[in-house]
Amino acid sequence: MLEFLGTVGANIISLPGILGLALGMMTRRVWLGALMGGIVALLQTVIFAHGSFAEVNTFELLIAVVIGLCAGSLGSAIRIKGATV
Amino acid sequence: MADSPEKRGWIGRLWNWIWTPAVAFSSGFLILAGFLAGILFWGGFHWTLELTNTEEFCVSCHTMETNLGEYRETIHYNNHSGVRAICSDCHVPHEWNHKIKAKIMAVKDVYHELVGTISTPEKYEEHRLSMATAVWKKMKASDSRECRNCHNFDYMDFTLQEARAASEHQRAIDENMTCIDCHQGIAHSLPPGHQERYQEVIETLAGKTPSQLQHHAATDGDDIKSFLTSRAD
Repeated sequence: MLEFLGTVGANIISLPGILGLALGMMTRRVWLGALMGGIVALLQTVIFAHGSFAEVNTFELLIAVVIGLCAGSLGSAIRIKGATV
Repeated sequence: MADSPEKRGWIGRLWNWIWTPAVAFSSGFLILAGFLAGILFWGGFHWTLELTNTEEFCVSCHTMETNLGEYRETIHYNNHSGVRAICSDCHVPHEWNHKIKAKIMAVKDVYHELVGTISTPEKYEEHRLSMATAVWKKMKASDSRECRNCHNFDYMDFTLQEARAASEHQRAIDENMTCIDCHQGIAHSLPPGHQERYQEVIETLAGKTPSQLQHHAATDGDDIKSFLTSRAD
């Protein structure tokens, strides 16, 4: 449980959370925001595994992608609610 | 007219203010202000995070007195070179993602300090094996990542090491072992039954590592600690 919460928290204040949110805020298309967040999460996990897919931890990758998807979607929702353009 | 601005509570008015387009500020002003606020926030966040990495912070809890005393008897605290490894050097990863995860997971330490899980020497001894197991598990799984922030096989000159150390380090490279396989109890006392428990950790994590090799490695732990301590003296 602690491992899970730690991984979720780490991803929220890491690239999937922060950059995912920022990229999501650049579009009104929720699916596109989520997609960009998910890609950031995937890239981050691979980069932190020193570019080797063999070293990627499936559990961490899954959590990162979910956080990225959520952050990207939230970013798009913020754009829809908070911008007139 | 429950929705009229006059009848809203302060939360409602704040919510409304957040989502109303700014009319008094230019876009440039808002971007610059947001950028500066971001720098201040991020700087403050990092500064606070680094404060939690200091030895003073780590040992400010009453329950840390036992392991602090043990650590102060080791070569990582006092040695001929004057280089010191403090708590965070061994227990907090350097990489951002691993560091944040470790910091979040460390919240459990605050909880256990508050409820007094290891508040007496007896309680501490009761939990020593499980606490050590958690650290060994983390180190084994990460290939002793925190050890390798300072120690690296590539930088070792085996000709300057004691014959036994050189031979064991060569064996570690050849057999793909990691630091914690031999160097358990390097900074804190080993609990009874540590060899069996370490064996369990290995089997849980991999299940493939040759048990004979790991048993041999684990039995070396006490020897290594006493050797290093004698060198420090």
